[in-house]
Amino acid sequence: MSNKMTGAQAILKFLGHQGIEAVFGYPGGAIMPLYDALLDSPIRHYLCRHEQGAAFAAIGQARSTNSVGVCVATSGPGATNLLTSLADAKLDSVPLVVITGQVARPAMGTDAFQEVDVLGLSLSISKHSMQVLDGKDLLPSLERAFFIAQDGRPGPVLVDIPKDILLSEVSFPALKPVQPNTTTSADADLIAKANQLLAQAKRPLAYVGGGVGMAEAVPQLRDFITTNSLPTVSTLKGLGAADADHPLYLGMLGMHGLPAANLAVQECDLLIAIGARLDDRVTGKLDEFAPHAKLLHLDIDPAEIHKRRQADVAILGDLQAILPQLQGPASAAWCHHIAQRKAAKAYNYSQADDAENIHAPTLLHYLSEQTKREAIVSCDVGQHQMWVAQHMTFADPTRHLSSGGLGTMGFGLPAAIGAQVAHPDKAVIAVCGDGSFMMNVQELATLRRYGLPVKILVLDNQRLGMVKQWQELFHQERYSETDLSDNPPFSRLAQAFDIAAEEISEPSQVQEAVARMLAHQGPYLLHVRLDANANVWPIVPPNTANHQMWEQPQ
Amino acid sequence: MNYQLMLSLQDQPAVMERVLQTTRYRGFCIHQLRMQQGPKGLSVTMDVSGQQPIHILTGQLRKLYDLSSLEIASAQPVGKTA
Ligand SMILES: Cc1ncc(C[n+]2csc(CCOP(=O)(O)OP(=O)(O)O)c2C)c(N)n1
Ligand SMILES: [Mg+2]
Repeated sequence: MSNKMTGAQAILKFLGHQGIEAVFGYPGGAIMPLYDALLDSPIRHYLCRHEQGAAFAAIGQARSTNSVGVCVATSGPGATNLLTSLADAKLDSVPLVVITGQVARPAMGTDAFQEVDVLGLSLSISKHSMQVLDGKDLLPSLERAFFIAQDGRPGPVLVDIPKDILLSEVSFPALKPVQPNTTTSADADLIAKANQLLAQAKRPLAYVGGGVGMAEAVPQLRDFITTNSLPTVSTLKGLGAADADHPLYLGMLGMHGLPAANLAVQECDLLIAIGARLDDRVTGKLDEFAPHAKLLHLDIDPAEIHKRRQADVAILGDLQAILPQLQGPASAAWCHHIAQRKAAKAYNYSQADDAENIHAPTLLHYLSEQTKREAIVSCDVGQHQMWVAQHMTFADPTRHLSSGGLGTMGFGLPAAIGAQVAHPDKAVIAVCGDGSFMMNVQELATLRRYGLPVKILVLDNQRLGMVKQWQELFHQERYSETDLSDNPPFSRLAQAFDIAAEEISEPSQVQEAVARMLAHQGPYLLHVRLDANANVWPIVPPNTANHQMWEQPQ
Repeated sequence: MNYQLMLSLQDQPAVMERVLQTTRYRGFCIHQLRMQQGPKGLSVTMDVSGQQPIHILTGQLRKLYDLSSLEIASAQPVGKTA
């Protein structure tokens, strides 16, 4: 077979070489040659109903597999529709390759139909971006995109390709799958210094972030925690990395962190940040975060070291290699103290029962138990997202897909679609807010088209609940534009897409409805009516130290 | 503090925009900028000042894939010139 082909054919052949079996996208003028070539390619294309949805689906696939996700869009509005998802992937370090069509080279720079400067738009929201201006650069650019997306701290890379290059003849060189850099081994001196800190510490605490999962260092982390009996807290993105059954595991820290987790951070004398970046939602008032602690910071990204807080010792490199070299058992007294407070602050689900309203934390906890933590759970953004983080547990970080850094409403449904495509045999559940769900509701059509058995749980408080909560607590109950009591009937909406659905509003209905949802063969929407007044507790008010969190009013 | 940074960059589309955008976003002002094209790419000398420690900026600039090298040529308290 000749190695001459069109640029469009070469892209698809290249993707096949990289092991990409499925891409998500939406066609249009400038990208039409690629869609034409798709007809003859083994690569499966999933048509989403908005480019933002396509890119979130690629993110869902990437995050649930720890590998590169690919999405495709046309120039102009197709490309601009992708930008939110690109930013989402940047802030959550998701390896994504985004391919956009561009107007043909002779038209570039003329304000041509559907021409936007997507390269310019991408600069601050991608890890890297490229515009292919010569056919011979096409494959090297794609190779570079795959390399950069996975190199060190992962991230999204955009490749903008003019239509005439998609149509032009290119030769296809012999290629090997792109392998990310093997990182250099950690500095032995620094390991010794870190071990010194660990040996001196009386109250060490592991603070686990999303970097652990992305480094595929979950086993090494769990060994490190178990061998050293380390109390552990997690960020939103770190959930699933530490074993939730470990007696010293305290759950999520930060603005909506669990009380035992936040208090432990405030008391510890050594904070071991593992693939975490001391984000403002985690630290609360930075000056008062972990005030007694030295900081041992382990990360792959040098720019995160000393960014928000000076580290006492920082080790750059691959967590798989670093963690087994560290040791320093926590004292029995500290462990005992942590375990006692964990028990004292444990959430009491039975006490939370209210005969009239479905209680979202209890429902989510029940769902987590029913799925034995094995389901992949994606989320939208808001109160329900925090309830998922607080009340569900996960076998692995790839089972919890939540928009952390950007906090993008509308993430849940399309991310679940990508995860289900990548894991056809796993249970995939999208936990959506009534506000967020409407932001990518068009993706119900994608579910129907491909018969993807995603289960959608719409937690409907008829409010933009998280904003309402802030208006209530910090804006003197001045509710501005957060009432959604005119929501459409979500179950009828799903049925219009041929998706089975039901609605519940009473606590007694929960268990059977969850069972029906999980047992259903195809896609399913469970519309759960909640009390509009429920809030997420605890909450750390703005500019406040984490130990001054407000706990649930009795 | 005022700093003089010397950068070598690969001559790729948008590379200068990346440097300028990163510098602005990380809270630094550019007071003087010189760019020259050479056989090995672009050489840039940039005088910047900011409230933050310079590693906040240089750490991010070093992540640019089109950057070949970066050096802090001088550091002066505000008010003095190099
Ligand atoms: C795209 C986008 N727009 C606005 C916001 C701000 N925001 C954060 S949470 C929230 C409310 C979300 O409402 P809903 O999805 O119903 O979730 P709830 O808090 O009620 O559980 C809003 C508007 C956001 N995060 N994302
Ligand atoms: Mg809501």
